[in-house]
Amino acid sequence: MECSFALVGKDYVLVAADTTAARSIVKMKVDEDKIKTLSPHLLMAYSGEPGDTVQFAEYIERNIRLYHIRNFHPLRPQSAAAWVRRSLAQSLRSRSPYTVNLLLGGYDVASDAPHLYWIDYLGTQAAVPFASHGYGSYFALSLLDRYHNPDGTLEEGLATLRRVIDETAKRLVVAPGNYKVKVVDKNGVREVAL
Amino acid sequence: MSIMEYNGGSVIAMVGKDCVAIASDLRLGNQALTVATNFEKIFPVTDRIYIGLPGLATDVTTLRERFRYRVNMYTIKESRTIEPSTFAHLVSSTLYERRFGPYFIEPIIAGLERNPATGELSPYIAGADLIGCLNFAKDFVVAGTASDKLFGVAEGLWEPGLEPEDLFETISQTLLNAVDRDAYSGWGAIVHVITKDKVISRTLKGRMD
Amino acid sequence: MPGTPSIQRPTQHQFNPYSDNGGTILAIAGADFSIIAGDTRQSEGYNIQTRYAPKVFRLTDRAVLAVNGFAADGNMFVKKVKQRLEWYRHAHAKDMPLRAIARLIQTMLYAQRFFPYYVYNILGGIEEDGSGAVYSFDPVGSYERETCRAAGAAQSLVQPFLDNQVYFKNQVPPPGRAHPTHLPLRDVLDIVIDAFTSATERHIEVGDGLEMYIVLAKGRTLQGVEAAQEISARTDGERVFVLRRDLKKD
Repeated sequence: MECSFALVGKDYVLVAADTTAARSIVKMKVDEDKIKTLSPHLLMAYSGEPGDTVQFAEYIERNIRLYHIRNFHPLRPQSAAAWVRRSLAQSLRSRSPYTVNLLLGGYDVASDAPHLYWIDYLGTQAAVPFASHGYGSYFALSLLDRYHNPDGTLEEGLATLRRVIDETAKRLVVAPGNYKVKVVDKNGVREVAL
Repeated sequence: MSIMEYNGGSVIAMVGKDCVAIASDLRLGNQALTVATNFEKIFPVTDRIYIGLPGLATDVTTLRERFRYRVNMYTIKESRTIEPSTFAHLVSSTLYERRFGPYFIEPIIAGLERNPATGELSPYIAGADLIGCLNFAKDFVVAGTASDKLFGVAEGLWEPGLEPEDLFETISQTLLNAVDRDAYSGWGAIVHVITKDKVISRTLKGRMD
Repeated sequence: MPGTPSIQRPTQHQFNPYSDNGGTILAIAGADFSIIAGDTRQSEGYNIQTRYAPKVFRLTDRAVLAVNGFAADGNMFVKKVKQRLEWYRHAHAKDMPLRAIARLIQTMLYAQRFFPYYVYNILGGIEEDGSGAVYSFDPVGSYERETCRAAGAAQSLVQPFLDNQVYFKNQVPPPGRAHPTHLPLRDVLDIVIDAFTSATERHIEVGDGLEMYIVLAKGRTLQGVEAAQEISARTDGERVFVLRRDLKKD
């Protein structure tokens, strides 16, 4: 089943999402990238109803890009999160709501600070030091409560993330096999190996 | 599964002598799973009005934005700041607009009301249900998943004419002891005491279980 | 649905053997006394059946039982407990000790595991070592010895108040001092009265009257609450007193 994790460290945000695309009990794909780069310093991991996820993520991606083109600067993470949340909240009370859960990780270049937002399909938004969606969250949140260090280096953050993924693999019956991990910091977005 | 208890959280407001206090817990959950322990549900409206929005968390954010917009429009059109009693009716009509598809929030308002004749400030609190039926109480108002517990403790601890520091202690003890018996509320609290010349905001540590 | 013939089935009636009669009970243990209290309103839905239906009963000179929930089951249960205690007296020529009564109640409740007495029990009194004790039960007999417990309609209103005032939860003692483990009788009585007036104010099923049973350890006196009426069988052992107060009737 789908799992995504994210955590804030010293001047960076780590975002991880599994790479399986499943339909019912069948794995259709094992190398799906479910983390979109919305702008030079903004990452979004998405999960939820198949179909809704990509449709909604692309809608968000193109509109954030449009804002960037029109205004010559990207939306800051706080503003992007607020707009994405509002899109979901409005969708919730529409005729066909999107069932998409998000983790938004960004680095605010203006204030030199990392930001992480937990957003669910209802439009619930929370600014958090670490976050998770899916069945993995039952293990992830307990581990992160214990081991997360908000001032940790990237190496420390990756070690903590590895703990979380290993525990999920060990204890979750329907654990995904592979993850893609991305980091966003003052230098922008890049993929990292676990 | 009740929508009102999906995210958890509780708010209480109390009247004191020339002051009011409003307090809430900090939990945000997905049913039994705690997602965040820093989720504030109380927001400033003016220098001397605060509103607490316990209920469905998506509507906490949506309503905060809507109230901010409507209060800004009021301020511009009227060229004056809104009074608590006026704001309470603004809240009521905003909620009643959605009578048959409501926001799942039971707001609580606390502020100091200026008497237009004398210019004196007097304590004002109000609560409302999710479709905007107002409740003007003289003592205290409660809402959220721990509301029955809050009623019990507040009824036992509250007395008329509390000074700001005593009111702070009373509302803090009431909230902490009530949320400790509620699985959906807790994980710390925040208290605002609104007085004539300042607002005292304090974050409280609580049981983390 | 129009056009579709409806399938005729025999009308079935379900008899519900249970009801909820409201009210609240509460007990607090002191070092050498115990207070067991309950309101006297009995209701069903919005109807008040009576303004005086006792929920607290003296079992022996050192044990008092409060029963709350379905009144018919409660009364029957108290009757059966009293009967078992009488048999014990005939067999052993003494009153059953409190902790033995607690275990007896568990056995009697669990015997009805699959058709339970719909009642929450709180047993208060004096232990054989002379200490005040409170035992609380669930309807099928799970029980625990505690210092204080509220049960019934206003449990959720009263219990957090007791946590604060009896266990001093969320309160910090003055530097170098500790919170008392047991409160004096007068303080406990005030807390009980406050708890019930508060519950009466905010809960529609609580009110009318308050009965507080005071059980004193051997040798201790009432000290300041002489208004209480004595109902103990003997005055040379543990003693039981009742104190009654009016509660709001609206």
